[in-house]
Formats: sequence, C-alpha cells, structure tokens
Amino acid sequence: MTHTSTRPRRVSPAEVRARVGEPEAMIKAKVLDRIDDHSRRFIAHSPFLTMATADATGLADCSPRGDYPGFAKVLDDRTLALPDRPGNKMADSFHNLAENDGIGLLFLVPGVRETLRVNGRAYPTDEPDVLARMQTEAKRPELALVVEVAEVFFHCGRALIRSRLWDPASQALADEIPPVSEVVTAQLGIDIDPAALVQTLEEGYRKLY
Amino acid sequence: MQQTQQMQQTVVDHIDQAAEDVVSLVLRGPTGPLAPWEPGAHIDVALPNWLTRQYSLCGDPADRDAYRIAIRHDPLTRGGSEYIHRFLRRGRTLDVSLPRNHFPLVSAPEYLFVAGGIGITSVMPMLRAAVASGTPASLLYVGRSKASMPFADELTSRYGDRVRVVATDQEGRPDLAALGSMLPPRALVYCCGPASMLDAAKAAFPAERLRMERFHAVPRQFVPNTEFEAVCARSGQTVRVPADESLLDALTHAGRPVVAGCREGICGSCELTVLDGDPEHRDDIGASAGRMYACVSRASSPRLVLDL
Ligand code: FES
Repeated sequence: MTHTSTRPRRVSPAEVRARVGEPEAMIKAKVLDRIDDHSRRFIAHSPFLTMATADATGLADCSPRGDYPGFAKVLDDRTLALPDRPGNKMADSFHNLAENDGIGLLFLVPGVRETLRVNGRAYPTDEPDVLARMQTEAKRPELALVVEVAEVFFHCGRALIRSRLWDPASQALADEIPPVSEVVTAQLGIDIDPAALVQTLEEGYRKLY
Repeated sequence: MQQTQQMQQTVVDHIDQAAEDVVSLVLRGPTGPLAPWEPGAHIDVALPNWLTRQYSLCGDPADRDAYRIAIRHDPLTRGGSEYIHRFLRRGRTLDVSLPRNHFPLVSAPEYLFVAGGIGITSVMPMLRAAVASGTPASLLYVGRSKASMPFADELTSRYGDRVRVVATDQEGRPDLAALGSMLPPRALVYCCGPASMLDAAKAAFPAERLRMERFHAVPRQFVPNTEFEAVCARSGQTVRVPADESLLDALTHAGRPVVAGCREGICGSCELTVLDGDPEHRDDIGASAGRMYACVSRASSPRLVLDL
C-alpha cells in the first residue's frame, strides 16, 4: 500500500488556478478557428490520431485511429472528414456523438515532437464524394465522420520529449508487455488455447479495410 | 522477372503551374541518366504519404537526365494529386518505377492523335516522335476551357497548324465522326482522354486503327469470385485468396507485398509471372501470356503458381 487513504485528495478549481495559473496570452493566441496551411500539412502527413468523445452524461472515451498519412481529409479550412474502418470502435464514438457532438482530436506525425489538436463538433455522413476520397484496397468505408472545426492548435513537444516516444530504444518496453493472448485469457477468465487466440487475432489484423 | 518492381531515385527539380489545376514536375536523376523510355510510357511515383500513382511521361525521350510528368488536381483525390499539388516541395527525393509502356506508338504512314484534358501527356511525346521522323501527323486537343489545358501554347507554337486546340466551353465538343469519315487510309488513331471521349472515338474510328489509353477501368461484369490458392514458387509459401479479397491484398497481407498503383487493372504496376494454373484476366491492359495483374485478376483453376 502506498496510500494512507483510499482515495487521493481532490483539489478545488480555485486552488488549481492558484497553483498552475491562467493560460498565457501568447499560448491562447495560437488557437486558430480554422485549419491553416501548417495544420493542413501536418494533417496530410499524420497516419495516427486519438479521438475523444463523451456521452450526454459526460462519460468520456478516447480511441486510436490510423491509416496512411493524410487519411483524415481536409474538406475545407473548417471541415475535416475521418473514415470509419473496421476495428475503429467507431460505433462507440457514433453512440457518444449522437448524444453529444463534441469531439477532440490529437494528430501525431512519427518523428515530430509537436502534436496538433483539433476540437469541434462531429456528425456521421455517407456523402459519396466524401467516401470516394477514402477508398483504399478497392473498398470505400460505409460511413465517415465530419468534423466541423472550432479550434486548431499545435501542442508543444514536451510530453513527447519526456516520453521518448520516437526514440527507437523505447521499443524495448514492448518486451515487458505480455502477449495479448495472455491478457485476454486472464481478463475474460477463459481457458482457451493461446495459439488459437493468436491466430484469430492475426486473421483479424490481416484484413485492415 | 519482376523487373517492373525495380525503382529508381529522382529529385524534384521543378514544379510549375501548367494550367489552372495542373502542375508539371521535372524529376532529375541524382547521379546520372534515368532509364530510357518510348512515347506512351508511364511511371509509378511513390509519394511521401505512402501512395503510389501513375503518370505518363510527357517530356522528351532524348533527354535522359530527367522525366517530365503533369498532374491534374482531382477534386475526389484520395491523396495522390492533392499531395503533389499542395505538399510536394522542390528538392524532395522521389522513388519512381522503371518506365512501362502499354500504349506504344506503332509505326504507320500517318497519325491522328486525339487527346482530352490531361490525356495530352501521353500523346505529346508521340507527336514529337512522329514529326521528328517526318511522318504526317496531326493532333486534336480537347479540354473544357483554354485555361484548364496544359501545354496548349507550347504545342501550337512548336507544331503550328498540325495542332487544333478545342475548348468546349467556347466551341462545344468537336465532331469526331466527321474526322473519322475523313481519316486517310492506313492512318492510325491514338486517343487518350476521359471515358466520354474514348466512347466517341470508338464510334468514330474503325477499331483496328484505333489505340486508346484510359484513366479508369471500364465497369464490367465478371463471374462471381471464388476462393483459390496462390503458391509462391520461390519461397514455397501458399497463400489463400478468399472470395472477398484480391490476389494483391491477399499476398500483401501474407507478407509478400506486391507494388500496386491503380488497383483497377490499367497501370500494370502489379504484374506477376504465372508459372502454372489458369489466371482469369480482368484487366484492361491485355496481359501477355504467362503474366497477370494481381489487383483485379483472379484464377479459374483452384491453384496458381507464381514466380514470387
Ligand atoms: S495496380 Fe494497376 S494494374 Fe494492378
């Protein structure tokens, strides 16, 4: 046991402000209300993002999305579109967005320490011209998510520097994580042949679109 | 065998606006001459965003130091033309394939070239070659507006009245049937343009004297897909190709990636050598004996043995 109490102490909002201060004016000014050329170039080179949504009660969810660089399409300087691909758990996001259309995206470009944050409101679409731009392996997605952009800004690179996220040596951490088959067997409390599980999983990974 | 998959490095030497939504690129070999090519050839260009696209070579085959290509910004871009138009920078290195030619210029006593829009790229070197060899040749170049047509001025100033430029917003669509009725005997027609133009050309010119290159595959019906096995002869690996997956994707997912471009059976990047079994050809190129295009073609036998 490292804690003496069962629950860490809650700090009040006023106290938080007193300790970390207001956001600085200069940092605030970097928040754009549209996608400028730099953000557009960043999005065009980003193969990965995380997407945060919340339901009506505020229960939040964050999930990864990835594809070839530029898979998030900039339709114009205030509108983005993201493809729905298998395994995206997009159903969760669609469920949340139906109740609460707020969305937060964090774009990453491998090797770049700064990240791009895009916040806005989102809704699903099946617009053929949008889906046509997302066709891969001769398949187009059934649905896409349109994001009406409200805020766009670059986030400084400290988190990625401290985390050594792009340092190849960091990949040694993966050796310490048990294979997913072990995790699933333990979490589901079922006793199935790990080899069979791995095979099912790899079969699933084979079909990416 | 898999010669088409060999790549060469180039450097983006020039990016020029060639028309209102067309840029032309000059790609230079960093260390010496690039692989030779003939009129009608195209290359695959591997873009920094992992996409591969095909573009006709529109420069001078005698210039061994550089390739020239021209790219129209497609409003429904999946990221190829948009990348080149918005994000590609001078000095960037780009890997390109060796030139391939599915649209070769066959010798004839006379030529009529018909190009629509960006289709001018594959036809330009043909006109150059015909004129250089003293063969009578003329070009009809059609586009939706003068401003949208790359190289129109360059062509008229170089070839004078051999070239007729028609902007349909001013003059309407030209009458290909009339041209067909006046076609000199033994003249060959080379046509590259959008589907509507190719359809008009098919109606206007006798099939045995018409050569066409298309931007997109013709929609066609095929027998329902069946599952088959692909055996990679060199490694001995057997890859199952389910009915809902292409041979190209099945090979790629099995760890035997094949270079692909159009995925529609028109560019030829994904050509494979078949050692045994019966391919069911679905491409628009016309695979030669013992070859197949993995993006669209399947098998009518339960097993194909591939030189992979
Ligand atoms: S990828 Fe173009 S023919 Fe197969």
